[in-house]
Amino acid sequence: MSSRESAGRPDALPAATDLLRSYAAPAGGYDEMMAPEGAPRAHWAGPLRAVQAMTETDRAHARELARRALRENGVTTAAPGESEPGSRPWQLDLLPQVIDAAEWRALETGLKQRARLLNAVVADLYGPGRLLQEGVLPPALVYGNPQFLRPCHGIAPPGGQHLHFLAFDLARGADGAWRVLGDRTQAPAGAGFALENRVIASRCLPELFAAEQVRRLAAFFRDFSENLLQLSRREEARAVVLSPGPSQAAYFEHAYLARYLGYPIVEGSDLTVRDNGLFLKTIEGLKPVDVVLRRVASECCDPLELETASLLGVPGLVQAAREGQVAVANALGSGVAETQALLAFLPEVGRLLLGEEPILPSAETWWCGKPKQRAHVLAKLDRLLIRRVSSPSSILAPQRGSVLGPALSAAQRVELAREIEAGGEAFVGQEIVPLSTTPVWSDEGSLAPGPMTLRVYATASGDDYRVMPGGLTRVYRGEAAVTPWLRPGDLSKDTWVLSDGPADSFSLIKQAQQDRRLRRGGRDLPSRAADNLFWLGRYVERSEEAARLLRSLVIRLSGDGVSADPITLERVVALLVSQKHLSARRARRAVEGGFQAVERELWTILFDPDCHDGLARILGNARRTAELVRERLSLDSWALVGELTEVPERWRLSPGQELDDALYLLKHLIQRLAALNGMAMENMTRGFGWRFLDMGRRLERVVNGAKLMRDLTARGDPELDGSLDLLLELADSTMTYGTRYRARPQLPAVLDLLLADDSNPRAVMFQLEALDEHLERLPRLEAEPGLSPARKLVVGLGTEIQLADVAKLAEERRGSGLRGGLDRLLRRLELAMEELSDRVAQGYFAHALPQRVSGPHWVEMAP
Amino acid sequence: MIYDVSHRTAFDYEQRVSISHHVLHLTPRPVPRQSCLRASILVDPAPTLRSEGHDYFGNPVTRLMVQEPHRTLRIHARARIEVAPEPGVDPEADWPWDAVAAGLRDGGGGSALEAAEFLFDSPHVVRDAAVRAYAAESFPPGRPLLAAARELTARIFADFDYQGGVTEVSTPVQEVLARRQGVCQDFAHLEIACLRSLGLPARYVSGYLRTRPPAGKEKLVGADASHAWIAVWSPERGWVDFDPTNDLIPAEEHITLAWGRDYADVSPINGFILGGGAHEVAVSVDVDPVEEV
Repeated sequence: MSSRESAGRPDALPAATDLLRSYAAPAGGYDEMMAPEGAPRAHWAGPLRAVQAMTETDRAHARELARRALRENGVTTAAPGESEPGSRPWQLDLLPQVIDAAEWRALETGLKQRARLLNAVVADLYGPGRLLQEGVLPPALVYGNPQFLRPCHGIAPPGGQHLHFLAFDLARGADGAWRVLGDRTQAPAGAGFALENRVIASRCLPELFAAEQVRRLAAFFRDFSENLLQLSRREEARAVVLSPGPSQAAYFEHAYLARYLGYPIVEGSDLTVRDNGLFLKTIEGLKPVDVVLRRVASECCDPLELETASLLGVPGLVQAAREGQVAVANALGSGVAETQALLAFLPEVGRLLLGEEPILPSAETWWCGKPKQRAHVLAKLDRLLIRRVSSPSSILAPQRGSVLGPALSAAQRVELAREIEAGGEAFVGQEIVPLSTTPVWSDEGSLAPGPMTLRVYATASGDDYRVMPGGLTRVYRGEAAVTPWLRPGDLSKDTWVLSDGPADSFSLIKQAQQDRRLRRGGRDLPSRAADNLFWLGRYVERSEEAARLLRSLVIRLSGDGVSADPITLERVVALLVSQKHLSARRARRAVEGGFQAVERELWTILFDPDCHDGLARILGNARRTAELVRERLSLDSWALVGELTEVPERWRLSPGQELDDALYLLKHLIQRLAALNGMAMENMTRGFGWRFLDMGRRLERVVNGAKLMRDLTARGDPELDGSLDLLLELADSTMTYGTRYRARPQLPAVLDLLLADDSNPRAVMFQLEALDEHLERLPRLEAEPGLSPARKLVVGLGTEIQLADVAKLAEERRGSGLRGGLDRLLRRLELAMEELSDRVAQGYFAHALPQRVSGPHWVEMAP
Repeated sequence: MIYDVSHRTAFDYEQRVSISHHVLHLTPRPVPRQSCLRASILVDPAPTLRSEGHDYFGNPVTRLMVQEPHRTLRIHARARIEVAPEPGVDPEADWPWDAVAAGLRDGGGGSALEAAEFLFDSPHVVRDAAVRAYAAESFPPGRPLLAAARELTARIFADFDYQGGVTEVSTPVQEVLARRQGVCQDFAHLEIACLRSLGLPARYVSGYLRTRPPAGKEKLVGADASHAWIAVWSPERGWVDFDPTNDLIPAEEHITLAWGRDYADVSPINGFILGGGAHEVAVSVDVDPVEEV
């Protein structure tokens, strides 16, 4: 494709000049925005004008908005080499990369052909094998390719579609022509980021977006989803996104796609193969799965027939696909077409399989397994990119084993040449495409050119492919890099494809069908999601209890002069110990150290992320668990969860806090937690998901309540030493008690209010009744008649509390200082709740990993 | 020679297994010198689903799925097999090995393409310089392929100790080469790596070996062995078997079950279970010559 753009019309851009004054595209290169004559290209006029119309304050505001949105939405990726996933925020440059309509049409035609071709390659390699038999592809590219999965040979996917979703990495050379640097056929990453970039960019720069006819992305994803669901023979298809799980850097994107498409996100152990069909473990039992959108590498998808050491997959999945019971997208084994060496043979492959000449060229590539090509690479070693044929790469991880010829020392070059001579089939050489540059909007507000590549996506659509009108533009910091992977500091951009016709349209009938199907898919509650919601409920409640306790303690320390009172200090410390925030050893030292030492310990519990059972830890658990069920939380709930961990972090980092500041923080936190609970109560539909979340919360509240009550009332004289006031305060029941009794707290009355009063939402009885209702409404998985063991447990406790005589419980055994009956009851409550938690887990959260068994690989020979 | 082969495997689980999947390579494949007169596999408890088929390499495969809870699984494979005598190989009458390797490098269709399947690294066979150096001693330029392979087989037999329990199925060839110890499977993987490192196709053969009791003793039941050896491809002779564990060219006492690139392609039983806890496996093999009638 040649550059056929006209030069810009300077007269159309009177205001843009100062933005562009300092913009200097590298000489001899191709700049996306500036024509060689030094004026902007025509299709950039509109966006530039809109940017120019903004004040610098507006622009700074937009950039800040984008940063905040990325942070709030948790758009993260781990940089190469970083072990902690989700640790690096995605970097977005708000100024889009713009491509005009006519140029896009040409690109689209070329990419569609390429997608058809790659699908034909995979179909041939796993079927008739003409490419090998006719000598078009050397055997090393197939038989020596670890992605050629022999057990998948002969599997005929529905409709002959092996590749349902592909990506192409493109670069534009100095001549203005696009070239393909590489193809992604396994499980292409980045489409979710492209979508998120669009969402954020259009929200932060609405005026820019409105000024242009930018083609939308939604229709592409609808097509994608529709195509996937149509792979199923069943009317009500169920699709899932199979992910390696949250320990992977790419999990954010998996969850994002799952949410966008309306499919549940699952891991291998959430699925099981029965009767050669694939099933999802839900809390209502096993549900058939028709389509798997695979984000796990093919070889890891079935330990029974593929990589036995991997536990990311589902034993029996290959057989289910073989039997046509499930469609896997992309088909298992489709990574075979990702090999870089294929680029060297693609034109000939196209002639054989499609009878067509390539429309869109690849970057020139030579495979070193062929003597002539090897000789060529060795002769030009200092001018080529040398890649290892079979090294896997992803958008997030650098491609291992790729080296830039020009960057090598003479000695390194000799060494590399030796390696290539010895085992040429493992290497390709590729021309270094001098990347085109596109404007980057710096923090200072000026524009500067940055080298870029473009990743474009295609989805199967009937017999052909559809190309996403947009993509992921990546801009590299520093010298014109040629590595198509991101490094820390690199940027991404939204990619605009301009439309010269009416806005995209798609059949409304098709859309209605689609909507109906998506709703059905979203109704299941996978066991794992139920598990995570249950624990989210527990962690949020635990956070709130901890925040309330710490607030009450801080109040007691920061009061007028009481702070130095040793009895108060000792009691504060004792509570911290019994609630497991503080070890007994540190507690002893703190008490000896007096007020300052206790304050220091409190500070650690409040802010130190390394403090075991500290507030930051508990909040971190809540957040991590929330991340796992993000697709089930509303945006508002998610934003609140994000704040939970950010607030203490910010406070920790700001110097010079006082106890009063801590009080303010805790108040803020308690309000946020209350908002989160309120949102769950008011905004979540009363499905099974809500029930598990609420069960977790209720159960945790009983555990905490019982523990606190035991600490504060089972011994001593709580009516005199202020324990009852503290207890009422922690249970948020001071007001209720006050209006009811208008007197100093008495133990029997407090016990009645906090244990047995089923109208008090903080009382144990209230939680037990709620738990019983949840258990009653949840599907029964075991077959015995009558109450389930879990319900028996809850009903039994409820009865015991209702029959208990609070006056008697409040009585101290003569001389012992201990209220034995109360102590035993509260202990029983705590233990019973842990038992209930186990029972719920056993009953509903079945996602155990399978284990491998095999006959011994050899039998000792008789001597 | 006609044999009755009986191969029993017993899995005993500490806890209940809720579901199990198994892929079996336990039915002898048809081989030019060997015909399978009858074969059966008994499974207890009866599988919910059972299917017979062939894998990518043409080996018979049985797939089992037991969906009823079970504490034990018994798999009993039986076969009657007739093995014809080896017609005799003259290792010296073969192509020079380097000419064969060069021919394969340049491609070529038909049986050479089929052989090319076995030229590259596979899960348990990864070539490196050390393996190549060990192999090279037996492969001076121009030496007939089979003669060189015969010598390599003899060297592995001489240089390595047969020692159970020091290696596992996952032990890399490189470690076996360094330790100079292993079992039949390790020696097979090593010899395959040697041949492939020189650009020669080599495959892994899984099967049984008839054993003879010591003179004057009764043969013990279950004392025979499942065994592994290799085959190398010669454009002249096709696939020729070598047994590095016993330093011989397999004849009438080797019974072929299946072949593939290495153990991973043809492991006799590969299974995954849910539940089960700890488990024990017991295997016994009998290879009994059938009296002529």
